[in-house]
Amino acid sequence: MDDKRVLTELDRLIDEFDPPPPGLVERVQFAVELEDLDVEVARWERADALTGVRGDQGTITFTVGDLMVMINLTRIGECHQIDGWLVPPGQHAVEVRVAGHGSHDTTADEDGRFVVDNVPRGTTQLVVQFDGTRTVVTPTVLL
Amino acid sequence: MVTSVRTTDEDPPWEGLHGAERYAACMRAARAGNRVARATLVKDLTPLVWHVARGHGLDRALAEDVVQTVWLALFSHIDSVAEPKALAGWLITTTRREAQRVRGKATDLPLTDEMAEQLPSTQPQPEDEALRADRDTRLWRAFRELPDKCQELLRLTVLSGRSEYRLVAEAMQMKRGSIGPTRGRCLDTLRQLLDSEGGGD
Repeated sequence: MDDKRVLTELDRLIDEFDPPPPGLVERVQFAVELEDLDVEVARWERADALTGVRGDQGTITFTVGDLMVMINLTRIGECHQIDGWLVPPGQHAVEVRVAGHGSHDTTADEDGRFVVDNVPRGTTQLVVQFDGTRTVVTPTVLL
Repeated sequence: MVTSVRTTDEDPPWEGLHGAERYAACMRAARAGNRVARATLVKDLTPLVWHVARGHGLDRALAEDVVQTVWLALFSHIDSVAEPKALAGWLITTTRREAQRVRGKATDLPLTDEMAEQLPSTQPQPEDEALRADRDTRLWRAFRELPDKCQELLRLTVLSGRSEYRLVAEAMQMKRGSIGPTRGRCLDTLRQLLDSEGGGD
C-alpha cells in the first residue's frame, strides 16, 4: 500500500474504530453552558485508572489546586443521594446540575459536608463557590 | 438551562463560514458570552480534541476526561487565548499537555482489552465484506501498535486532510515545520507491522 492509500484507509478507520463516544459532545456542551465561566476547572482524580467505569456507587474526587470536592453516591431507586465533602471546609454553596433536570442547591456545613438527595440519574456537574470568591466546576459525569 | 437558543431571527455571525474563519467568528461571539457559539465550537472541534487525546495512549474513559478538561479550560480562559485564529493550535497543545499529565498517572491498558472493546461485532456478513472487515481490523491493530508519536501524527494528518479541519494543517505546519520525513517513517513502520501480522494486503 502506498502512503496515500494507507492514509485514506486510516481516515476511514479512525471513524469506524475510534469515534468520540456517543453523547460526548452533548456532555461537554452541558458542562460549558454555565452563564459565568470565570471559574476554576477541577479534574477528576481517578484512584484506579483501569476501572474507567462511570455510574458505579463509590467515591469520586475532583481537585484543582488546593481545593477538593469529594462525592459519594448512593443509589436509591431511580435517583442518587450525593454525600459530599469540601476541602478546605466551610459553608460553601453547592449546585448539582443534572442535564434536563435543572439544578439542586445546598450549602455545606462548617465541616464542609453536604447532602443532596433525590438527584435524578444522568449527566451531572457540580459547581461549588468556595467562600463566595472562587468558583470551581467539575467536568460532567454520567451518574 | 440555555435561556433561549434563538434570541433573534438573525443568523449567527459564523453562519455560512468555514474552517478558521468560522471558528474565529465563534470565538469572538463566545468571548462576548454567546453560549450558542460555545456549543458550536464544541460540536465542530470535539473530534479533533478526542483524536489528539487518543493519540497519546489514553484509554477512552481517560480521553473523555481530557476532552472535558480542555473545553472547560478554553472557556474559562477565553480572554487569554491570544488569537481566535490560533484556536486549533491552542486546542492541540493544551490537549497534548493534559493527556501527558493524565497519562503520567494512569496504568496502561493492555492493548488486547481495548482491541476487544473496539472490534466490530462478529455478525454474519457477506464474504467480501467479511474480508474487508478482516483487513480493516489488521490495519487498525497495526496502527495501534505504533509508537504514540506516530499515532498522533497520523491521526492529525488524516484530520487535516478533511476540509473542515484545514486549520489543523496550518497549526501543524507552524508547530512542526517539515513533518514529511517523520510521517514517512511512521508509515513505513506501519507497513512493517502489517507485514509481520501476515500479509499487508
